[in-house]
Amino acid sequence: MPAILTADGVGKSYGSGSARMPIIDGLTLSIAKGEFVSLVGPSGCGKTTLLMCLSGLLAPSDGAVSFKGQVVDQPPIGLSVVFQDYSRSLLPWKTNLDNVLFGMRRVQGMDARAKRARAEEILAAVGLTGFGGHYPWQVSGGMQQRVAIARGIASQSELLLLDEPLAAVDAQTRADMQDLLLDVAQRFKQTCVLVTHDVEEAVYMANRVLVLGPRPTRVVREVVVDLPMPRDQLTTREAPGFLHARHEVLALIRGMRQGQKLS
Amino acid sequence: MTAAVVAERLRVPICAALVLGTWQIVFLSGVVPEKYFPSILSIATAFWQMLADGSVLTAWAQTFGRALIGLVGAAALGITLAILSDLSPVLSRGFRYVSDVLQPIPPAAFVPMAVFMLGLGAKLYAFVIILVTVWPPYLNGVAALSGVGAVQLNTGRMFGLSNWGLLWRIKLPAALPEIFTGIRYAATISLIAVIVSEMLAGRDGIGFMIFKKAFALRTPEVFGLMFLVGLNGVLLNGLVNLLRRAVTGWHLRMMERPE
Repeated sequence: MPAILTADGVGKSYGSGSARMPIIDGLTLSIAKGEFVSLVGPSGCGKTTLLMCLSGLLAPSDGAVSFKGQVVDQPPIGLSVVFQDYSRSLLPWKTNLDNVLFGMRRVQGMDARAKRARAEEILAAVGLTGFGGHYPWQVSGGMQQRVAIARGIASQSELLLLDEPLAAVDAQTRADMQDLLLDVAQRFKQTCVLVTHDVEEAVYMANRVLVLGPRPTRVVREVVVDLPMPRDQLTTREAPGFLHARHEVLALIRGMRQGQKLS
Repeated sequence: MTAAVVAERLRVPICAALVLGTWQIVFLSGVVPEKYFPSILSIATAFWQMLADGSVLTAWAQTFGRALIGLVGAAALGITLAILSDLSPVLSRGFRYVSDVLQPIPPAAFVPMAVFMLGLGAKLYAFVIILVTVWPPYLNGVAALSGVGAVQLNTGRMFGLSNWGLLWRIKLPAALPEIFTGIRYAATISLIAVIVSEMLAGRDGIGFMIFKKAFALRTPEVFGLMFLVGLNGVLLNGLVNLLRRAVTGWHLRMMERPE
């Protein structure tokens, strides 16, 4: 599979001179089309900054990000970010349907009616039939995040960058949302990059987990999750492959945390 | 029906009765001479006579029209200044100095110089009213526009909005509820500015009428007109609220919803 997204020697630092604070340093990664890749790392390692750089919302200080072979210097069409803070990312003056339609503003070759039908279809796919007319603040947190996911997909996205999308929803909803995300990612042919601090979630969702080092961060290990799709909350989490991958990632991150404490 | 429910249903007549009753008790006690504190009945009679000869309606229309035009102008100017401040940090600081100096000056203090510069009439009213009314929409606008969150802006940029697009499609809609709070303050200030200007430099309107009647010691008429000024405030606020509900109804409903 060809790479859809690559980062080549990406660095990002804030400030300058003696106050210069490097967040990312010489980070290289490559995401193939159709993959589901999780990014995990110790707290505060710069995961969100990395995602902003990958999305074109933040310009890297060094190196370059490419999306479908084109250097990313602004958010490209075909790539969308699902933010952790869904209540701020959804526009409260628009209904759920209008929020999804807002995501489709750059979609070409569809008239208003076709766009509306497509938006309703995607809302239905995330289980929100009949909620298009509601405002985001009238539905639960899990539903709001599903609207945000639907909006991302509706923008004719091929690559979803998910920034801890489930961190703010309760534990039970989170498990359902994980399965829903996997389902719609497959159904709408989305390549996914998931940033999370939850190692179990990272392994459960992904074909590949990239473990990030402490700040200034870079990829320190790739852990391939050799488990079939679709995943299952009970059997997948008990499979030897899952436990093995989880062990490897957790041990790496724990090692980094202890290293940080000593230094 | 319990007593509480009855009281809730009848709250307007109950409050009116309390106010009017207190007024009448003060009047009957004779603490203030009747000349300066007339009975409810004589105020009502005087008001009715002014209504009947048409003088008060004309004055009301003039005053309310000036307040409304002043408010619309001040809101438009205030929002424009707020947008300019948002676009340029230099302008933002400049406007802030100007507003810090001009804001504490009461409308009455602007009138004498305005008379010399602009003469009596529409220009004077526009100048004084807008100069004192512009600040709440401007200050609220600046605060609201700069307070729009990074996530909302990033969302807009992700879906391809330019800087102008971000302003029109994200920042302004997000800021409108707070701007409307400023416009509501401005409505009251606008009415005050109109009455003051009419009193000091007017040839018509309710402010002018109050001054004329007061010098003629027509106390019941003065109180009647003051009541009308208060009603104007209610009316202007009502209009602002109608517009607010139409434009930012989503925000009102969001605030009202049960947690």
